[in-house]
Amino acid sequence: MLKEHFATLERRLAEQIAQGEDNPRKLYALEVARFGQRLYSGEHKIAWTGVLAPFELLNATGVTSCFVEFTGAMLASMGFSSTFIEESQQGGFGSDMCSYHRAILGAQRKGLIPSPNFLVATSCPCSGGMAVMEILAHSFQKPLLVLHIPQEENERNVRYLANQLEELHNFIAQEAKEPRDDAKLAQAIEHANRTRETLLELYELARHVPSPVANNDLANFAYIINLLMGTPHGTRLAQNFVDAFAKRVRAGSSGVDGEKRRLLWIQNRIQFKNPFISLLEKEYRAAIVIDEMNCVTWEKIEPQDPYMGIARRIIGNPFNGPAQRRLENLQRLARAYRVDGALNPCNWGCRQGAGARGIIGKGLNEIGVPVLNLETDCADKRNFFEGQLRTRLAAFMEMLEENAQRKGNEQR
Amino acid sequence: MIYAGIDIGSISTKVALLDEEKLLGTLVSFSGYNAEAAAKRVFEEILAQHGLRATDVAKVVATGYGRASVAFADKAITEITCHAAGAYFSDGEVRFVIDIGGQDSKAIELGEGGQVKNFLMNDKCAAGTGRFLEVMARALELDLEKFADFSLRADLPAPISNICTVFAESEVISLIAKGEKRENIIAGIHSAIAARVSAMVIRLGGASAVMMTGGVAKNAGLVSALSEKLQTTVKVSPYAQENGAIGAALLARRLLK
Repeated sequence: MLKEHFATLERRLAEQIAQGEDNPRKLYALEVARFGQRLYSGEHKIAWTGVLAPFELLNATGVTSCFVEFTGAMLASMGFSSTFIEESQQGGFGSDMCSYHRAILGAQRKGLIPSPNFLVATSCPCSGGMAVMEILAHSFQKPLLVLHIPQEENERNVRYLANQLEELHNFIAQEAKEPRDDAKLAQAIEHANRTRETLLELYELARHVPSPVANNDLANFAYIINLLMGTPHGTRLAQNFVDAFAKRVRAGSSGVDGEKRRLLWIQNRIQFKNPFISLLEKEYRAAIVIDEMNCVTWEKIEPQDPYMGIARRIIGNPFNGPAQRRLENLQRLARAYRVDGALNPCNWGCRQGAGARGIIGKGLNEIGVPVLNLETDCADKRNFFEGQLRTRLAAFMEMLEENAQRKGNEQR
Repeated sequence: MIYAGIDIGSISTKVALLDEEKLLGTLVSFSGYNAEAAAKRVFEEILAQHGLRATDVAKVVATGYGRASVAFADKAITEITCHAAGAYFSDGEVRFVIDIGGQDSKAIELGEGGQVKNFLMNDKCAAGTGRFLEVMARALELDLEKFADFSLRADLPAPISNICTVFAESEVISLIAKGEKRENIIAGIHSAIAARVSAMVIRLGGASAVMMTGGVAKNAGLVSALSEKLQTTVKVSPYAQENGAIGAALLARRLLK
């Protein structure tokens, strides 16, 4: 099913682009379709991973690798996740688990997850994801390597993780039956550094007032870029957006017509079709100028000493460690992008997201940024109550309108 | 000039009329299945009561779950904003509003001037709402008015562990079967709702200057349970049921300013 989906998607997008209907989001979607085809072709070496896996190492060894949640998100966007979520429940998995993971487990039971050559789990950002990797490794009878990510960033911890990364590089080479090639890795790191530079330029452009970003432009963007780390594709995709945004900024145009409100989107987008994005743009003239994931929180990596640099990037990820670290990053983004408010859809089964909700809400309120917690599921449409959510969103936008009027009066 | 606010709830539809200075009147009626027809009906009724025509009304704001169905309204505003405005109109000292409606419950924090500073709504289910109380009253074979009064005579509230409407109804039936007094069962139900709703107020940072609005505010037993949970005297809006409509009328007046 997914193989056909990606093939159809690629064909349709390629036709549209050939007819001149190209824009950065379409080119991005085309890359996703191509990636999906590689993953499901049965012709490539593949690995299932955790979301923080070091994709440079995998890409440098020629392994098409993907975090498992990608499949959950794809099934949701196609409108099929609920079927597989039900399948996972029939298999005995709890109904209060993360719906991305339940969809994957159900899809695996139905034979929709291709058997990998190996798996790479990460102890962060969530223990649920790690458990899913263990289940998949057991079901497929394939080797699993778990990266233990320390929480605190200090030299000892960075060295500890760097040693594991080197071990992982050997593991990948062994399981992929390819020689470990440090020169290829150095080249991949150079690509990753170029991607990083382009992302910095892109996110800087997004800060403009009004912002050149339309609400769907950079949805899920950081996740896909992460998968492409160490390849030229990531840089190219980011550059397409840089060019388009620079053009919009020069023309004085905005991604959302008549931008009235600027919003920060916390954690994941809602993956299935829903009216929110268009409602925000058309009804409220509200632009999602920044997603929590769309930020660069790491330094350039030294190609000749890649493990230490990658280890620093992983340990320094805001999702690693206490929720306070996430909050500090969110506060930095809220200030840098001059947002009026934040939306936190907070996937129902996500312990990490739900657990941090109070700290995030309070911390953003303290810097004058109201937060709307949307009680919804991001991957299971059955838990999306449109009427109730519309009322919450409408009340939130009324509150932001009131805030803006008050600030305007104070300035006068 | 005259301004109107219409609050179309899932159970009842309320209308309020204001002029530049004061509240002229309010009216409450059942919503029925057609929100638009209910809005039109109450609007026409209140105009007739005051000897007015529709053209005498400068602005109309609709609120409540049926707000989008009122074609003749100049603007639709959520019940959250309207309840905040209505409560502040009744009492300028109020900082937190609890509104338990037919199908949802909400806690609203007010800023200076009565604007919404923050709000929370019940999530995932109808527990702790007016509909929940209706189901429980039916299980106990009481009308809602008697149901409210009964709890004040309780000597030992029965513990209701579940607040899922369906499970709680089963629990109530089990308690009846065990011979538990209705007064105590009702007090237990109120206590369970109060625990849920007061948690929202506390999450907003509040425990003082709390006002309850909405039709359920007429339930003295629940107000008492909420006061106990919040350790403060929860005020009841003098226009409990009409509060949202009054807020809508106030916001209609503001549309022209």
